[in-house]
Amino acid sequence: MKSLKILMLILASLLFLYQDAESLDYYKLYTPAGGMTADEIMEIAYHNKYSLFAQDYDLPDSEVFYIDPSGFTRTKLAERYRIVKGGEDNIKYKDLVVVTHPTQVKGLAILTWTYENPNKDQDVWLWIPALKKVRKISASEGDDAFMGSDLTVEEVSTRRFEDETYKLLREDTFAGYRFEQTGEMMFEGRPCFVIEAIPTKDHWYYAKRTVWVDKGFGGSIFEEYFDKNGDKFKTIFRGWDWYTDGALRYPTQTAIECKDLRTQHRTVVYNRQQNYDKGLDERKFTLRMLQRSKW
Amino acid sequence: MKRRIFLAIVIAGCTLSVSSGVAADEPIGKFVDKVLPFENLEIVGYFRNETALKVSNGMDEFMKEKNIMDIKANYRFTDWLEAFTEIKLWYDATYDIEGRYKDLTYKEKNQKLTMPIKTEWIREAYLDIYTPNLDIRAGKQQVVWGTTDGVRILDMVNPLDYREWTIKDYSETRIPLWMFNLEGQVMMNGHLQVLIIPDYEPNYYAPAGSPFALRTVVAGAESSASPFVTVTTIDERPERKFENMKYGLRWRNVVESGVLSGLQYSINYLHTYDFASSAYTKTNVLFSPFGPPQITVQLTRRAEQIEVIGGSFAKTITEGIVGSLGKGWTVRGEFAHIHNGAMNYGTDKSIEGTVDVDQYNYAIGLDKTFFSKLDFSFQFIQLIASAKEDYDETDYTLLFGPTRGPLDNYENILTMFLATDFMHERLKPQVLIIYTDDNDWRISPKVSFEVNDNWMVTAGLHIFEGHPQHLNGQFDKNDQIFFETQYSW
Repeated sequence: MKSLKILMLILASLLFLYQDAESLDYYKLYTPAGGMTADEIMEIAYHNKYSLFAQDYDLPDSEVFYIDPSGFTRTKLAERYRIVKGGEDNIKYKDLVVVTHPTQVKGLAILTWTYENPNKDQDVWLWIPALKKVRKISASEGDDAFMGSDLTVEEVSTRRFEDETYKLLREDTFAGYRFEQTGEMMFEGRPCFVIEAIPTKDHWYYAKRTVWVDKGFGGSIFEEYFDKNGDKFKTIFRGWDWYTDGALRYPTQTAIECKDLRTQHRTVVYNRQQNYDKGLDERKFTLRMLQRSKW
Repeated sequence: MKRRIFLAIVIAGCTLSVSSGVAADEPIGKFVDKVLPFENLEIVGYFRNETALKVSNGMDEFMKEKNIMDIKANYRFTDWLEAFTEIKLWYDATYDIEGRYKDLTYKEKNQKLTMPIKTEWIREAYLDIYTPNLDIRAGKQQVVWGTTDGVRILDMVNPLDYREWTIKDYSETRIPLWMFNLEGQVMMNGHLQVLIIPDYEPNYYAPAGSPFALRTVVAGAESSASPFVTVTTIDERPERKFENMKYGLRWRNVVESGVLSGLQYSINYLHTYDFASSAYTKTNVLFSPFGPPQITVQLTRRAEQIEVIGGSFAKTITEGIVGSLGKGWTVRGEFAHIHNGAMNYGTDKSIEGTVDVDQYNYAIGLDKTFFSKLDFSFQFIQLIASAKEDYDETDYTLLFGPTRGPLDNYENILTMFLATDFMHERLKPQVLIIYTDDNDWRISPKVSFEVNDNWMVTAGLHIFEGHPQHLNGQFDKNDQIFFETQYSW
């Protein structure tokens, strides 16, 4: 009887922990407020990053520039679609990326299912039009470069709230970021929470990062990555704007600039013409639809 | 040797130097956009040079000097109706460069080269009709079944062009067929595909004298070249009649919930004709008192009507089996029972007769990414042939189609593929190793470099090792070094 009680207690504790990690409701927009803990602020930041406040998301025009220190630039264009399942069948959301440029990889499509269970990897299918075949592939390692960019896979799509521990360093005013692509000074003077995030994995590709979370909409606007020697090796700036459509008002990422401070290589992403809650059909996220992508 | 290496370097150098000048502004892409201002028309394409030198003769022979133009066009009439065409033209100048073939007529060269056959230059041409629950694709197309790479188990819908053996991707050597391809949505992730295929093409094989002429083709040519042997060949291809129509069914599903969530599986059935003809021979020997006996051979090549029944699966281990054991591995496999096929039996290079055969082929594959960016893929394939008719098994064995060599009851193939990338995915080295039992090998390393958004250069090797009776050993003397330069727009 005593052991049963202990077992119940453990199960209840696990349930509590699990619920704590998933305490934000889907399809609701949250903004941070004074007095919140670092965990609460970062939960909101993740909620916004993956647009879990919306039913669906489509980005028909995303441009990615790969720029080396000499200025030599390569370009990739892509479309991106997401439907938030909100935990149905234990699935958090389904994601579809279709590359439209350059011709060498045109039509390449990646379908990803992300699960509620933080210990479960994503399921990923790849459609390579030249091979006329859908391939089930393993989820990329989190520290692998995302499509050859300076961003890692986890920085774009797989990092979860549970992957780090957080400490609120201070509340501060963001000094602004000069977007190298345009020379424009952005987000100067924005009030932010400055949070230190330490990965739970040992020997990960970074030892810690500092995250500047905008107080106004709860999105991460600037991240600095440090190695185990405490040297800063990478920065990521994320530009945000408000998406408005009638009564809808959502924070949305419009641009990213990621700089590798060791190689001086950088990646710039522009997200244009984003849409939310347009009633995307879940059938778009099936193998049949992957095969519609030609070239 | 020096002349050929010099030529290969000049070709690669010229294309690269042109690349630096014209690539920055994508002149062809912009020109096409300008002269074809149809909003719903999209055109892309590439030009590619493929050069290969034979290694075994001290690089003293071009095996390929091919220039390819490929144009793809898609026109969207409405959201639910689109037309797609791919035109692929090429010319292989090997025999023009190699003086040893200068006496051949154009027609003879045409037969020897990997030139477009009939309407092969229309790579694909189809109409797409999209409805919420049914996609219809009608026209010339490729359909790929199964999950195995580089070996055909369920991938039996289209024939193959073997004129460069299997060194090119199947996507480039699969011969498209005219067909109706209907795929209906029965469940959210469950789809039923129906194929109706009135078209038939056999596999294409390189003729004797070509770099990749199969041993069985060479053996056939040698026997018919004898002055005492007269060979008449009858090709029995399926006529274009309704009862000869091929058709296929595939049920494919992805499990969405439970412990098997993410499991993709298919059940397949194909009623088709074998693209590799079975050879039936009838030999008459006429003894003459005035000279050597005259032998007449009537060779009937018949495309057997076969049934393919099988299935495939692929599953990524997203949660460790115990702890994190197995996490990140993708396991895939497929199986096919080929019913009512036929095979020759006899001794090495010599056909004694033909028997009905059932084949049971399967493959298991494992994939994983190591160290963040090293893609690893391993496959075990077993091909089992079982004769349904009696023959003298003490003196004869079944014969392996491509080589006319003895076929084991169980043919085992292992493949391993490794790939990685550097410089933000610009530099991509990879290696494919294929081992079949009987110590038969193919090792194909290659490295590609993305010069910019338009230009890609590739260099590599194909190394064949083994005995001539076996799959890759038959090309033991055909090791080649190759270079490819591609401009896409």
